[in-house]
Amino acid sequence: MNIAQLKENEVAIVECFSTVDQLIKDRLMQLGIYPNQEICLLRKLPFGGPCIIGTCGQCICIRLYDAKGIEVKKK
Amino acid sequence: MNATFALIGNPNTGKTSLFNALTGSYQYVGNWSGVTVEKKVGTLHHNMGTLVDLPGIYTMNPISADEAVVSNYLLEEPTTPVLNIIDTSQLKRNLHVTIQLLERNRNVLLCLNMIDVANERGIYVDNNRLSSLLNIDVTPIIARKEQGIDNIFHGLNQLHKSTTPLVLYYGSIVEKGITSIEKKLSDLNGDINTRWLAIQYLQGNRQIENKLSSSNCEIAKIRDDTEKQLQFKEGNITLAYHIMNVRETFIQSIVDQVITIKKEPKVFMSEKIDQIVTNKFLGIPIFLFLMYMIFMVTFNWIGFPLSDLLDVFLTDMVAVWFENVLAILQVNPFIESVILEGIIGGVGGVLVFTPQIFILFFCLSLLEDSGYMARITVVMDRFMQAMGLNGKAFIPLIIGFGCNVPGIMAARSIEQERDRLITMVMLPFMSCSARLPVYALFISVFFKENQALIALSLYVLGIVIALLLAKILTSTTFKKEKSLFIMELPPYRMPQWRTLWRATWEKGKGFIRKAGTFIFGGSVIIWLLTYMGPGGIDVPMDESYLAQIGAYIAPFLAPLGFGTWQAASSLLTGFLAKEVVVSTMSIIYAAPEVQMQGLLAEYFSPLTAYGFMTFILLYVPCLATVAVMKQETHSIKWTMFAILYGLVMAYIVTFLIIQCGRILGIA
Ligand SMILES: Nc1nc2c(ncn2[C@@H]2O[C@H](COP(=O)(O)OP(=O)(O)OP(=O)(O)O)[C@@H](O)[C@H]2O)c(=O)[nH]1
Ligand SMILES: [Mg+2]
Repeated sequence: MNIAQLKENEVAIVECFSTVDQLIKDRLMQLGIYPNQEICLLRKLPFGGPCIIGTCGQCICIRLYDAKGIEVKKK
Repeated sequence: MNATFALIGNPNTGKTSLFNALTGSYQYVGNWSGVTVEKKVGTLHHNMGTLVDLPGIYTMNPISADEAVVSNYLLEEPTTPVLNIIDTSQLKRNLHVTIQLLERNRNVLLCLNMIDVANERGIYVDNNRLSSLLNIDVTPIIARKEQGIDNIFHGLNQLHKSTTPLVLYYGSIVEKGITSIEKKLSDLNGDINTRWLAIQYLQGNRQIENKLSSSNCEIAKIRDDTEKQLQFKEGNITLAYHIMNVRETFIQSIVDQVITIKKEPKVFMSEKIDQIVTNKFLGIPIFLFLMYMIFMVTFNWIGFPLSDLLDVFLTDMVAVWFENVLAILQVNPFIESVILEGIIGGVGGVLVFTPQIFILFFCLSLLEDSGYMARITVVMDRFMQAMGLNGKAFIPLIIGFGCNVPGIMAARSIEQERDRLITMVMLPFMSCSARLPVYALFISVFFKENQALIALSLYVLGIVIALLLAKILTSTTFKKEKSLFIMELPPYRMPQWRTLWRATWEKGKGFIRKAGTFIFGGSVIIWLLTYMGPGGIDVPMDESYLAQIGAYIAPFLAPLGFGTWQAASSLLTGFLAKEVVVSTMSIIYAAPEVQMQGLLAEYFSPLTAYGFMTFILLYVPCLATVAVMKQETHSIKWTMFAILYGLVMAYIVTFLIIQCGRILGIA
């Protein structure tokens, strides 16, 4: 499953990036989101808007398309 | 002493706050990532040398234009001692930069900032332990309360000892790659650490790739081989990921030893606020409501009453006082006219609107320092996506309401070149504070009832025209690439009065300074042009040089409803700076008996007044904006495009407004 399929406030572990754009992937790595990291989906905005995810006490916002490209497994 | 130190660290960790505390300057502080976008130099207190403030970085490999400034600096200044500032509440992420700095050399003083935030979250760091593990000095500080600043001066004094850089072991395959690249680089002279260069190169650092381009093909092959061998052994991972992982493991081992967590994580204040302001349904309405409040405060509730008071003060007291003094001194009539009509009329006409401008800047500073700015990008991203852009463009655009120049600079933090360029050409349509006096003047004459509403409609019109431009560009020239969006949401911080006041003053000061220089000079020249004409000096205004110049352009403006030489020459002077339009009008429409307001009402109707404001909003960016646009786009073509698009749009939109208004029977 991917991040976009999580429910709000659900925690999961990142498995891999599949269709994420390279630039976004680089940034996510810099922000500490990469395989084996724990993340939590905080909120999804309506009409296919962006998702806010949390890791290690920080909040990061990415687009739905990229969220769909990050494979996770539930804890 | 003539030492130089550089401030390096993650974005939004308080570098500029510390810079201001250490040097006594007032650089721009704000609560989102990417506030500082260029190098700023300041003089340290206690005669300690100079300090360089830089944008924030997450690693040494730059993605956006502001980060490239830092990578460049690190390459060009291999021996400059570094003040590495980190956000203690995000220790792990921040240490990645520290490790890369230490791999370069150990001339680093580590500042643990935001100790207050960390402690509030129950995070405590053992400084001494951290210091001995990394073998550098560590000082805890709270930059925004200026706590621990003295320890930094002390630490900087001790910095000059040079010890060996940090060496991490990256595994046999990568180490072999590093050694072979280092051999190829051995003829590279200078103080730069070749091992650091090699590691950065292997990690894919673009800036370093460019620097090493001469020996590129050989080392590029080494990198490919190393990556292949690594993948053969470790499976499907990239070299960059492997290197980061080694550092991560090292950092984790340090963090485990120095951090104690004393509280269970709870729901933080920030999260509670976010549940409301980035709420599914309330997010956009809240944003629009806040914007509306800003307009009400600036134009209706506080701005106008204050500006009326100032007007009374300037005309009834200052002008009268000058008149009396000049009468006593018995200066010649020419000088008297210059001072009373030119300077006091022109400069005073603009200064009257200082209250509105300060209030606007205050509101913008509030948005910037609270952390709400980053949330705006989030709630607006879906909409911007439909326009082919991303939500981050909103940060420069909102800054542009204050002044277009810093707005264009702020676009540097947008990662993609495409989105950055589009944002920059959109910026001139953001109605800056210099245009505000023009609106304020006309609104006070023609639209006394609906002040805020009329002002708001102009701001919205500017945004609509800018979005239209974005839509056109993203569906033609930039159709192939799509926009991307990723944004870090910093925790909300209670803005401090001191910071707010300083920020407001620093920005507002620019307006007053402009009044004292540009507008002052402009007013004198304009007054001279109205005073002189082909017929000699002290001619009737209609026969002055200014009238003649304006008369050349006036016919083109006739279809827009304000084809007078007065309107034409005001518009012409507005290219220097938009406020000059107001000083020109104050000089032209100044009559001894009637107030300028009364005369304006003779030359404009509410409809043409609105048309004129629309034209001012759109027609050309001011001189300063054009200069920055040229510098930041590196392209005359795009700069010219922005100017022409503005002119054409201004003409079309104003024409439509006037003609539709006439058809509807509005005078
Ligand atoms: N609570 C707290 N807030 C701080 C501290 N230091 C800075 N801040 C706040 O953190 C925010 C960011 O500060 P800046 O100084 O602009 O950070 P910066 O590192 O220059 O940011 P960029 O230029 O974007 O890289 C501001 O809102 C500051 O008021 C601190 O020690 N404690
Ligand atoms: Mg800064």
